[in-house]
Amino acid sequence: MKAKEGELKVITGNSAAAYGAMLCRPDVVASYPITPQTEVVEQLSRFHADGILDAEMVEVEGENSAMNIVAAATLAGGRAFTATSSWGLVYMYDAVLQAAGFRAPVVMANVNRETPGILAVSSGQQDMISTRDAGWIQLIVENSQEILDTIIMAFRLAEDYDIQLPVMVNYDGFYLSYLAEGVRIPTREDVDKYLAILKTQPQRTILNPQKPIGAGSHGILTEFMELRYKHCAALERAKKKLDEIDCEFGEFFGRSYGGQIEEYRTEDADIIILTSGSTVGTTRTVVDAKRTAGLKVGLIKLRMFRPFPREKLIQTITGKKAVGVIDRSVCFGWNCGPIYMELRALSPEIGRIPIMSFIDGLANIDITTPHIERAINDVHKASKGEPYQEVTWIPLEEYL
Amino acid sequence: MAVKKFSSKYEAAWSDADALLLCLDTGSWRTKRPVVNKEKCSYCGLCSIYCPPQCMVTKKDYFDPNLEFCKGCGICARECPRSAIIMMPEGDFTP
Repeated sequence: MKAKEGELKVITGNSAAAYGAMLCRPDVVASYPITPQTEVVEQLSRFHADGILDAEMVEVEGENSAMNIVAAATLAGGRAFTATSSWGLVYMYDAVLQAAGFRAPVVMANVNRETPGILAVSSGQQDMISTRDAGWIQLIVENSQEILDTIIMAFRLAEDYDIQLPVMVNYDGFYLSYLAEGVRIPTREDVDKYLAILKTQPQRTILNPQKPIGAGSHGILTEFMELRYKHCAALERAKKKLDEIDCEFGEFFGRSYGGQIEEYRTEDADIIILTSGSTVGTTRTVVDAKRTAGLKVGLIKLRMFRPFPREKLIQTITGKKAVGVIDRSVCFGWNCGPIYMELRALSPEIGRIPIMSFIDGLANIDITTPHIERAINDVHKASKGEPYQEVTWIPLEEYL
Repeated sequence: MAVKKFSSKYEAAWSDADALLLCLDTGSWRTKRPVVNKEKCSYCGLCSIYCPPQCMVTKKDYFDPNLEFCKGCGICARECPRSAIIMMPEGDFTP
């Protein structure tokens, strides 16, 4: 059975996020506006005012309340959505940890923006990185269509009986949030069908006034460890689950994104570029140009950052001669890119090949085709055994 | 990794008065204890819902605190719509 093609609309990434959420019929939406996410809240409010979205819209005084409300709504058995960015994400930090600890299946769009410290109303994945150990599932997407589709998939993943974890869907602020492009809007009926499997699963534990139980009580001694173990086990299951959900989405809607990672021309590649988010689109065109010029380069798009898709990456990278990772954020202390650092942890399995970190695009610096070409050239040289620099801050190079 | 049988049936930190998660000796923190007037109690259950460590236990037609865990915070007394719960100083009770 196939879904209808759906109406084609030219909408922004933020609008695509709102459409994705609306189509999943959330019971509760609580969100506080922040640049570059504001349009998501506006669009959802418009849907609600137009009678298209039958949800309880909670006007909150800040992000901390927003997260506590949506987490509680899911614990009461509802479906809940919120969206934030940067300062908003860190302002709800304790609630972000609570939602994960409660195993509250919240879906949140996080529109990537630089975090406090150096004020920057501009793009960067540092906000997402600052919550990587919060216990959430973190997905990163590349374009508006993928934003809409991934939010639908995120509800399937979050609310799955075997998972029961909050899911954060990340997309680049400014580059994707305000970029208008053609997006197919699936019909509500088809989204209902796609999500229907959740209703056939056993009922997860929810608050029930007839039989009062509490959430988030003291957990000391071994019970605490047991819950942490269960949480990690669920994260481990989420990797394969995302692949299945993505595959099923592809069969039904005709669009598929590869699950945990998407591989592009990797099969016969000698060298690999690993990156995520909107940069993937630019990288794809550079890879094509390099291929035409005879260089065997492939691209891996990281879609799942937490849990980290290590098996998939080991499988794809083993046997290659060198890897370059382009990060749009930094890992303080290791002083390299965070995705690079994670990949380095796979060195024993991948083998002793050059792995290089490229930091680029912080605070809206464009990751241009010459930047990516520069990275590919460096990785190519390293693959031939030439000495290489471990970490390169591409836009700063000429000043260093 | 082989794990012995889990002691909690829940996937997350759910708990009630009998649950395993209530393993901290919060009862020893108490300076006042809730005393329930059974005549006044209408068995509405609000005290049980608001109690932070979920220690208001059902006694069929009224609720009573599990003093092993009750910290004496007084929220039950504050929330009771019939004022059926009063907080009494611990010193009034013989150990």
